[in-house]
Amino acid sequence: MSVLDTTDVLDVAGYASAVRRSLADLGPELVDDLTDDLEADLAEALDDERHVAHGRGVLEQFGPPEDYAAELRAAAGLAPATAPGRRVRLSDPVDDARRFGRWILRRLRALTWWAPVEAFLIALRPVWWLLRGWVVYQLVAMMSGASGWLPRNLAAFLVLVGTVVLSVQYGRGVWFQSRRVAWVAVTANVVAVVAVLPLLGGAHDRVLASESVYADYTAGRLGVGGGTQTIIQDKAVDGVVVDGMQVSNLFVYDADGNPLTDVQVYDDRGRPVRTTFDNGFDQYWFPEATEPWSFVSRVDTDGRARWNVYPLQGAPTSEFTYDDAGLQVLPAGSSATTPPWPFAKAPSLDDPPEAAIGAEGPVPSPSPTSTP
Amino acid sequence: MDTTQLLKGVLDLAVLAVVSDEDGYGYDVVRRLRAAGIEEVGDASVYGTLRRLYSSGALTSYVVPSDEGPHRKYYGINAQGRAMLEAQRKDWQEFAGTMGRLLKTEVVR
Repeated sequence: MSVLDTTDVLDVAGYASAVRRSLADLGPELVDDLTDDLEADLAEALDDERHVAHGRGVLEQFGPPEDYAAELRAAAGLAPATAPGRRVRLSDPVDDARRFGRWILRRLRALTWWAPVEAFLIALRPVWWLLRGWVVYQLVAMMSGASGWLPRNLAAFLVLVGTVVLSVQYGRGVWFQSRRVAWVAVTANVVAVVAVLPLLGGAHDRVLASESVYADYTAGRLGVGGGTQTIIQDKAVDGVVVDGMQVSNLFVYDADGNPLTDVQVYDDRGRPVRTTFDNGFDQYWFPEATEPWSFVSRVDTDGRARWNVYPLQGAPTSEFTYDDAGLQVLPAGSSATTPPWPFAKAPSLDDPPEAAIGAEGPVPSPSPTSTP
Repeated sequence: MDTTQLLKGVLDLAVLAVVSDEDGYGYDVVRRLRAAGIEEVGDASVYGTLRRLYSSGALTSYVVPSDEGPHRKYYGINAQGRAMLEAQRKDWQEFAGTMGRLLKTEVVR
């Protein structure tokens, strides 16, 4: 049954397009107007008829599409086709594109969600007119060597006003309607459609470029070279995350559950695992702290700062002072301490790990004599 | 005598009468005409008539979205259409009366 339905729908579509072809000399608007609901009407009529005369095809039901078109045309009070068939053979790419566009639109209009979308797009049409005027202005400006979002002098401003007026008037259907000049507008429209994205992209790039210059300026990167660079990362791009939350410190316990200090942590590729990237500038709150803390780094034997030694040590931020270079340091009197542990003792592990035996050497089976 | 020829003259009146009852879309109008006993009218003639009445200002038109099927263009009658319907109804009744009398006398004779 469903197969039969599909062939019927196909037939209906084919029949409808044949009717439209026979009406083609009326011009696209009139044809659309006459055959808006044609598919739906044909399908419904067939459906009705199916109860009476089972399995009648479209052709049997409605006769040749040319006759159907002629009847439609006559009843609508329109002149009969002048030279049926001849016009149709000449395939005009513009006409074909228009017909294809109308076909797409008809298909879309058959969908329930399309109506509000189309209404929304229609409401946006004047925005396109403005944009189109601007695009044409940009192209004119580029040809005369100017650039920039908006005109910088009176002449360029007048050009922009002119292109916007032309575009809006064309959009409102006031100008460029006669057949002799319509091709100018159609060409300009196509060019604008093609050029709008590259132009907007270019303009966007210029804005981005100026923004990045500004960012460099605020970060001090435009200053005389050699100065200290401070890169503040305020986005969680790296670090250790637990349950979706970036952690600031790690606490390590040994097998017996006793806290360990000064544990260096590396990942599988030997990279230090860091929880903080602010080099001691930021402040961190602990679950039961009364004031924020800042961390200090450990220093290895080579004199390099190590931020992957856990638990990170630090002190309440208020205790820090600034040195001559503007860096945050602890004053001579106080020293960094370990922040409060989450708990004094972790549960101890049940079995001593087998690895302890392996580490002593290849022992196939533990000999009973080794433990007296 | 072929009734389709007769119908051509009064299809406008028939379509106006149907639409004045209740707004309808293309095939809906066809179906109601058929239900009223006007069997011979072609679908395309009705659609063309609707379009012509609409462009002459006797009908209004609006699109109704549908949940399961395609959107349909509905036609409704307006003041001008009602005036046209009244005038044509009167013409038709006079004409029908005249024809009725004429044919009766012919039969009697």
